[in-house]
Amino acid sequence: MKTLKAIYNFIVGDMIILVGILIVAIALGLISNIDALAGLRPAIGPVLIVAALVVLSATLYREARGNR
Amino acid sequence: MQWAIASAAFLASAVEFVEAFTIVLVVGVTINWRSSLVGAFAAAATLALIVGTLGVALVKWVPLNDLRLFVGIILILFGLKWLKKAILRYSGLKALHDEEAIFEETMAEVRAQGGTIAPRIHPFGVALSYKAVLLEGLEVAFIVITFGSSINTAGSNGIGSAAIGAAIAGILVIGAGALIKAPLTKVPENTLKFVVGIMLTSFGTYWAAEGYNYSWPLSDAFIPILAAIFLLASYLLVMVLKQQKRRQLAASKAQVMEEARP
Repeated sequence: MKTLKAIYNFIVGDMIILVGILIVAIALGLISNIDALAGLRPAIGPVLIVAALVVLSATLYREARGNR
Repeated sequence: MQWAIASAAFLASAVEFVEAFTIVLVVGVTINWRSSLVGAFAAAATLALIVGTLGVALVKWVPLNDLRLFVGIILILFGLKWLKKAILRYSGLKALHDEEAIFEETMAEVRAQGGTIAPRIHPFGVALSYKAVLLEGLEVAFIVITFGSSINTAGSNGIGSAAIGAAIAGILVIGAGALIKAPLTKVPENTLKFVVGIMLTSFGTYWAAEGYNYSWPLSDAFIPILAAIFLLASYLLVMVLKQQKRRQLAASKAQVMEEARP
């Protein structure tokens, strides 16, 4: 548990960033592997950019609220 | 030599070297240079082993697209973490990282442990220096492996380029530190962290999407466009947070004045 926590703190240290990016990664994995979703494949790049920005905004929003 | 990888690794590693060197400097000045350098060199040897082992394992055994995806996701996580901290500092929601404060804090810690300047090897000094260099160096190792392993289709020596970038950063920081012989407060660490956060997120986004077999328009030339997008978005976020902070201050000021009114 201690090792896992150390790895988590070393790489990201923020649950919103970790969960947000992992959800996006799984969703994009489904899009790239399931034939029925092949039509969405050209949107992978833009989706990843938007997702990174949304995750960043969400974690900053939480920090700003915590500062109140 | 891949200049994009080398320069990205150079910038990212410089930040870590500044932090590690501050601690090594404190141990050297307050305990002795022998203990400090023994700890630092031992940590460097451990790191060399880690970089060598993981670097070879990653490049030889992991399929390129899976590697790109893994590295990309890790870089996005790393980059967003750094970007978040830098944006919070620029917007005034978090204090700027002060190397001088870290120096004073560590000096106090060393004195509290009974550390004095002595010529013999001091286990606490060695451990402190080792821990700092290993932890910060692990981040450098991580940067070198992740940047270096994300080789482009030409398949050239990415780890070599990243290692050269990191080594130059290390030499420059140590050289600069030796010249000024004081905590590296002059290095604009937050600016460096901000730029590194942008670069890590841009490279991460680029490689992660490639890992999903996505082809970026303009290929590698899209990376600067990604950096520009993240830079612009970060600038807007800093502005919004600053504005929000100003509004909060004005509101609390008005509340205090309201309460003070008879």
